[in-house]
Amino acid sequence: MIITAGLDIGSTYTKALLQNEDHEILAKAMLPTGFRLQEIARTIYNQVLEAAGLSENDISYVIATGPGRHQVDFKDLQVTDLTASARGANLLFPGTRTILDIGGQTMKASRVDEAAKVISFRLNDKCAAGTGAFLEKTARYMGYDIQEISALMVTSKQPVPISGVCAVFAESEVINHLSLGTAPADIMQGAIESLTGRSVQLMKRVRAEPEFTLIGGILRFETMGKTVSDLLDAEVNVPDGDMVQFVPALGCAILGRRRLEKLGSDGRMAGAGV
Amino acid sequence: MTMTATRIFTEWRDKSLDDALLECRDMVEAPDFETARRWREAGGKIAGHFQVYFPEEIVHAAGMLPFKVRGAPLEANQADSHFGSYLCSILKTSLELALSDVVEMDLFISHPICDAARNLAAIWGRNVDYPSQILYLPQNPNSSGSIDYLTHEYDRIRRVVEEVSGRTITDEDLQNSIAVFNENRRLMRELYEIKRDTPWLIAAEDAYALVALAGMVPREEHNELLTELLPKIRERDNKPEDRIRVVFEGGFCEQPPFDLIRMLGRTVYVVDDDFLIGLRWITEDVPVDGDPLGNLATAYIEHSSYSPVQHDLRKPKEEMLKQRISDAGADAAILAAAKMCEPGLEEQVAYTHSLDDAEISYFLSEFEENMSSFDQLELQVATFVEHLLFA
Repeated sequence: MIITAGLDIGSTYTKALLQNEDHEILAKAMLPTGFRLQEIARTIYNQVLEAAGLSENDISYVIATGPGRHQVDFKDLQVTDLTASARGANLLFPGTRTILDIGGQTMKASRVDEAAKVISFRLNDKCAAGTGAFLEKTARYMGYDIQEISALMVTSKQPVPISGVCAVFAESEVINHLSLGTAPADIMQGAIESLTGRSVQLMKRVRAEPEFTLIGGILRFETMGKTVSDLLDAEVNVPDGDMVQFVPALGCAILGRRRLEKLGSDGRMAGAGV
Repeated sequence: MTMTATRIFTEWRDKSLDDALLECRDMVEAPDFETARRWREAGGKIAGHFQVYFPEEIVHAAGMLPFKVRGAPLEANQADSHFGSYLCSILKTSLELALSDVVEMDLFISHPICDAARNLAAIWGRNVDYPSQILYLPQNPNSSGSIDYLTHEYDRIRRVVEEVSGRTITDEDLQNSIAVFNENRRLMRELYEIKRDTPWLIAAEDAYALVALAGMVPREEHNELLTELLPKIRERDNKPEDRIRVVFEGGFCEQPPFDLIRMLGRTVYVVDDDFLIGLRWITEDVPVDGDPLGNLATAYIEHSSYSPVQHDLRKPKEEMLKQRISDAGADAAILAAAKMCEPGLEEQVAYTHSLDDAEISYFLSEFEENMSSFDQLELQVATFVEHLLFA
C-alpha cells in the first residue's frame, strides 16, 4: 500500500494529511503554526501517523507546501501553494477552473486547466486587508472570538461599507462605526463584503471562469461562500467542513503519488543525480 | 613577523559545523570586509584584484594578501559620480570600497574584461594614492605566442608587486605559493564534488561562503578552514530530497545577492556554478618545479575554466556549459546575468540557442547585487521546477 503525506505549513495554521492510493484520507490534523516551524511540522506529522496507526517507514513520500515549507526537514519535496491547491481542488471538484484561496495572511486567485495545471495566478498585494487576519482583527477589536464570527454575521441586517483598501484605515472605520452605534454584526458583514470585493477583483485579473472553487480558512465562515457567489452571480464549490483548509495538503499527497509513479521502480529521486 | 602565520578569521574555530558555517556566512555577508582590516592592523599589505581571474600566487609570494574585489553590499554614494547609470553595479560598489576606505589597499590590479571594466583601473588610480595596474591577459589564448607573452606579463606584475611590497619575489617564493594554492585548488574541487555528488549535505549559500572566503583570507588559513570543515560536511546525515539539480551560470563577475543564492538553494540543488569562477579558474595542479611564472601562464592557457570574458576558440562557451551540465548530472540550468552586463547578457543568447537545440531546460533571469526582494523570483523558479517535476 502506497501512502503519501501532505503538509501545509500555513502562516496561521499548519495542516497535515495522509492519503492512500485509493484516495482515502487516512488521517488529518490541524494546529496553530506558531513560530517554531520545524517543531510544529514534526509534531503534526507524528500526530497524523499516530491517528492512522502508522509509522514513518509506512509513508512513501512527503510533500510540504505553504510559506513554511522550506522548514520541513523530513520532506521529499516542496511545492508552491498554487500547485498543491490546484491538485487538491481538482480531486474534490474535477470541473474546477478557478481557485480562490483566502488564507490567514495571503489571498491567491488562480486559473487552472482540465489537468489541474496552473495557467495564470495573482496574489494579493502585501496588505492585510485582503486576508483572514483582517477579519480576525476586526472581530477581536469588537470583542468577539473567531468562533463567534459566523454566528454574528448571519444576524446582520444592514451591512456598512468598509473601504478594505488598507487594514489600518479599515480599523479606523470600524472605530467610527462603533462610535456611531452601528451593530457589530453589520460591521462584520461589511468587512466580509469588503474582502469579497477584493477577492473578486483578483479573480477577474486571472480571467476567472467556472467552475469556481473557494478554499482557505475564511471559508469556515458560512456567509463568505454565499457572498462570493452573489458577487460573481454564479455557483461556487466549497469543500465540506474543515476540508476547506486541507485542500493544499490534499494536493501535496496527490502530487506525492504522481511523483512516485514518475520516479519509477528504482525510486531514485531527482536530487540523487549521477 | 611572518604574515603568512597571521590568522585573521578565527571565529569559526572550535565550533560545531553549523555554527562554523554561520560564522563563514556572516563574514562573507558583512559589508565591512573585516578580514582586510585585521590583516592591515597586523602590519600586512593588500593587493586588491578585480574580477575575473588574477594569478594570486604572485601577490602571495610577496607576503601580501590577495583580496578579491567582487563588489560589495553597500550604497555606491561616492562611486556613482564616476560611472554612468547604464553601467553594472559591481564597478561602482567595488570603487566605493576604495573611496570610502572600507578596504584599504596598497595595490589594485584589474583586467580589461569588458568595456566598462577597462576604465576601472584608470578611475581607481586617479582617486587613490597607491598604484593601480592593468593585467593584460592574452586576447587570443590560441596564439602560439600566448604562453610566452603571458609569462612576460606576469613577470611585469611581479616587479610591480615587488616594488609595492618592498620585497624581492624569488622563484622559490613563487613555487611555495603555487604549492599552497594547489592545495587550495584540491580542496575547492573537493567542495564541488560534495555539491555535485551529495548536494543535500551543504546548502548553496554555505558552499558559496566557503568559496568567497578564499578571496578574503590568506590561502593557508582558507586551506585550514576547508580541511577541517569538509570532512564534517561529508559526515552529515541530512535527508536527500527529490529536488531538481541545476547548474547556475552567470556568476563569473558581479555576484548575485547572498539571499538570492539562499533562495535558489532551498528550491533546487545547485550542483555546479560559476560563482567566483576566478578563484577556481585553474582546474588542475600547477607544477611546482620549473619556471613558476611559465607554469602559471601555461595553466591559464591550457588548464582553465571558461567565462564570457575569455575568448578561446578551443572552449566554445555553449559547449563548455553543456559539458558542465552533463558532468554535474544536472536536469536544467539557471542562466542569469547581472543587469547591464554586456558579456553576460550576450552569452545568454548563445546559451539559450544551444540548450534549446540540446533540449535542456533552462530558467532565464537577471539580477543585481543590491536587489533585495526575491518573492516573485522564488515563485518563478518554483514554477519552473514544478513544471519539470510534474510534466
